[in-house]
Amino acid sequence: MRNRNYISIFFDDEVPLLQAVRKLRESNEIITDVLSPFPVHGLDEALSIKRSRIPVVGFIFGAIGAILAFGFQAWVFTVSYPLIIGGKPFFAAPAFIPITLEVTVLFAGLSMVAAMLIRSKLKPDIRFVPVDKRITDDRFVILVEAADAKTTLMRVKSVLSGIQTIEIR
Amino acid sequence: MLQSPLRPPLIEGNKTYRSITSDILNPMMNKAGKYWYLGMTISGLAMLFGVFMIFWTVWQGIGTWGENRTVGWAFEITTFVWWIGIGHAGTFISAILLLFRQKWRNSINRSAEAMTIFAVICAALFPLIHLGRPLLTFFIFPYPNTRGLWVNFNSPLVWDVFAISTYFTISLVFWYVGLIPDIGTVRDKIKKGLKKNIYNFLSFGWKGSARDWHRHEVTSIMLAAIATPLVLSVHSIVSMDFASSIIPGWHTTIFPPYFVAGAIFSGFAMVQTLLIITRKAMGLEDFITPSHIENMNKILIATGSIVALAYMTEMFMAWYSGVEYEHYAFMNRATGPYWWAYLIMITCNVVSSQLLWIKKLRTSLAFTFFLSIVINIGMWFERFVIIVTSLHRDYLTSSWTMYKPTIVEFGLLIGTLGIFFTAFLLFIRIFPVISISEVKSVLKISGEKQHKKDLSHEK
Amino acid sequence: MDEQFNFKKQYRNILLIVMAACLLVLLAAILISRPGASRIWANVLLNNQFFMGLSLGAAFFLAVHRVALSGWHTVLQRLPEAMTTFLPIAFILMLLIYFGMHHLYSWTNNDVTDKVMEGKKAWLNVPFFFIRLVIYFTGWIVLTRMMRKNSSALMTSSDIKYHNRRKLFAGLFLVFYAITVSSSSWDWIMSLDAHWYSTIFGWYVLIGMFVTSLAFITLLIWLLKRLGYLKYIRPDHIHDMAILLFCFSIFWTYQWFAQYELIWYGHLPEETSYYITRLKDFKVLFFVNLGINFIVPFFGLITVNSKRQLGWVAFIAAIVLIGHWIDYWLMIMPAAGGDKAGIGVLEICMTIVYACVFIFIVLRSLSTGPLVVKNDPFLEESLNYES
Repeated sequence: MRNRNYISIFFDDEVPLLQAVRKLRESNEIITDVLSPFPVHGLDEALSIKRSRIPVVGFIFGAIGAILAFGFQAWVFTVSYPLIIGGKPFFAAPAFIPITLEVTVLFAGLSMVAAMLIRSKLKPDIRFVPVDKRITDDRFVILVEAADAKTTLMRVKSVLSGIQTIEIR
Repeated sequence: MLQSPLRPPLIEGNKTYRSITSDILNPMMNKAGKYWYLGMTISGLAMLFGVFMIFWTVWQGIGTWGENRTVGWAFEITTFVWWIGIGHAGTFISAILLLFRQKWRNSINRSAEAMTIFAVICAALFPLIHLGRPLLTFFIFPYPNTRGLWVNFNSPLVWDVFAISTYFTISLVFWYVGLIPDIGTVRDKIKKGLKKNIYNFLSFGWKGSARDWHRHEVTSIMLAAIATPLVLSVHSIVSMDFASSIIPGWHTTIFPPYFVAGAIFSGFAMVQTLLIITRKAMGLEDFITPSHIENMNKILIATGSIVALAYMTEMFMAWYSGVEYEHYAFMNRATGPYWWAYLIMITCNVVSSQLLWIKKLRTSLAFTFFLSIVINIGMWFERFVIIVTSLHRDYLTSSWTMYKPTIVEFGLLIGTLGIFFTAFLLFIRIFPVISISEVKSVLKISGEKQHKKDLSHEK
Repeated sequence: MDEQFNFKKQYRNILLIVMAACLLVLLAAILISRPGASRIWANVLLNNQFFMGLSLGAAFFLAVHRVALSGWHTVLQRLPEAMTTFLPIAFILMLLIYFGMHHLYSWTNNDVTDKVMEGKKAWLNVPFFFIRLVIYFTGWIVLTRMMRKNSSALMTSSDIKYHNRRKLFAGLFLVFYAITVSSSSWDWIMSLDAHWYSTIFGWYVLIGMFVTSLAFITLLIWLLKRLGYLKYIRPDHIHDMAILLFCFSIFWTYQWFAQYELIWYGHLPEETSYYITRLKDFKVLFFVNLGINFIVPFFGLITVNSKRQLGWVAFIAAIVLIGHWIDYWLMIMPAAGGDKAGIGVLEICMTIVYACVFIFIVLRSLSTGPLVVKNDPFLEESLNYES
């Protein structure tokens, strides 16, 4: 037990993981994080993770893209340099729709990915070290906050007595 | 999530999470076999040939092509539309099938998306070459210049620039977002060295936290939602390059949806070609099962039938319109000097895809592989027929002419095929061909073990 | 799971009274305001097309889901199945058009002597028109009946052969429908503007039909839940209905735009005539149509929460249903309604009369058997569906 302020509980399947999460939350332990090799169905609910607002970001930026694209085309052909093209009016709205759609999608898509990377603090980093190398393979880990490692370890062990864990440390 | 026992398992063999990881990663991390080197050599040579022909075109000018004053668009734009179309299947699989919760897409989406990106790269080359002076590419983007003139936003060709660059960007981002967790898996499998550092860098520090997964899932589904109108719009805009003109045979309102259906049709054919080889070569038969192939064949029947319906509608409307130019354009298409191209198009697209109604053929891998190549040829000819037959009979009979491609133009087609396959071969050595995390997430629902349990439970 | 809809006398009476009242108002309106035979016949055609479209769209919904081996829709499949039972009545109503042919279709008048119309004679002539009509309806009625019959067989027997047979008929229906929905819309709607043509027209009508039926199925779920049935239909199922309504409303807009954009861009007199009549006299409706059918479902159903509230989805569905009625109106009335075309008492009352008949038929056929197909191999999956 080095000087750590959390305890890791290892599983090799998501079913005991979910049971453990529910039990730990019932006994008021603070779960700092749950790590898994794939998105576990039902985990969001068990951890009561609120639905992400990334779609809102996408909507706002998409709307900005739409206004920018449509406005720019309209400005170019009515104010900046009006040209008669194919006998169409200067403000040829139907012809501006395709580019407006494309720019909307581009803005919405890029902004959502950016939001995801920023919120999850994901960035290229050579020095990154994972908690366990097998998390991306077949290990599921619960990290529990522990002010005092020893007593929390005892407590967690008793809470999870009936559940199939690989290791608790 | 309960699954009806009627559904065949999506993953065969008694897999565990660990064996999924190793089954997908091993063929990639082990030394490449001699067939891989053979493939690389052939496609590399094809690519070199194409690069030389691009160089030759730029050096000598567009006069090295077979185009003339009447048929100003022919081989290159055909190949351009063909490549763009092939790209569409990737987005269809990753976006539309995700929205409609088709779980079988999980083991094919990664390679299909990669295929999309490479196909769009091949397609985007053609407008560049077609400019004749690739250095002046920036002319097609709206930028403030000394003359105060902007690009023509009313032109479908400018819409194309926006559509294709957006399509490429969003597909790339979508693909990479999906790759991040799997790059993490690769990172953790490599012990040390430069390779480890590179994968560590590329993995963006993925740790698999529940919150990260949640955001990852939300972002993926939202990207799918916005990629759906995108994929429809891209080929619609490509179709408007033709349909917004008033040339008989081009100007018809069915073009946008019909081109989209045709694009998905040809794209799925290319996915079939690639996956039937990949699953064999990399030993991924458990993940890409015959039922995956059959499902894709069903999409081929559907889209092939839509294309056939569009051919019929066009023919009927040309007659029904009572416009003599429309009459002529369509009669000339089927019975004029390019009747052979029309025949190839009908045989390869309509007749061949209808054979898939027969279950025996639909489930046969050898036949599917053969058919997928036939369909790709057919779809190339579809664009050729539309473009060349409408142009070669000009408004003035004195300008009527014929078009014959030159070796340079064939070189460009072969070259882009080379680029495409080289890129794909590199991809299967660098990144996992199957989305590991997504396959793991369906193992409990639709793995073989679970399936057997469901069946026994039913009895 | 043997829950059965009880079509109480009270419900029947409400429908019959509303229908009778509207019928009376309708007759009075016709006698007093004398709208002209063209407008009356155009209304008959409009409502025939709209309510037939509800049935056909429902059949398309079933066929697509069955061919795609969809599981989730299993719990609600009896509702679209019931909607298809209106088709025989639609057949009779469509045959009535025979008496109004001259008021609706200019090509039936023999004195037309223009070259283009001469060329179309082989397709646009009265006998062939009705031969095609009979073929369409025979195919649709037979195939939808077979689909429904095999579903009903699964209530008592658990033999998988009924499931497979149902799938086979779904496939046959899709092929037949894809061809006939195009050609029937050319016959019944496009030939009202006898010179005009547009290749996308059939597909545009098809998607419109599909959207109206999605909206109607949602409303039917809402109604039955209000009456205390369908307890097992959860927000997850509503979510998927809403996604379909949302996506296909956008897809409808895409088709609308493809047709408009290309005709606007090409600017050929043969083609623009269609939009010129509609934009000149019915400018407001023209944009209302686009607004209701695109903007309302787009912004109304864009968030996850809004897709899971049955009441809200049903509200949007009701607006979309009206929107698509206006869409048909814009296809039919400017061409066939005569000088007095508009939306008035005549239009509203006739639509309500049709709607009462339609709802009566649907509810009656729902009451003939359980609301859930007990032995459907996908039932368990559908009951436990999570979206």
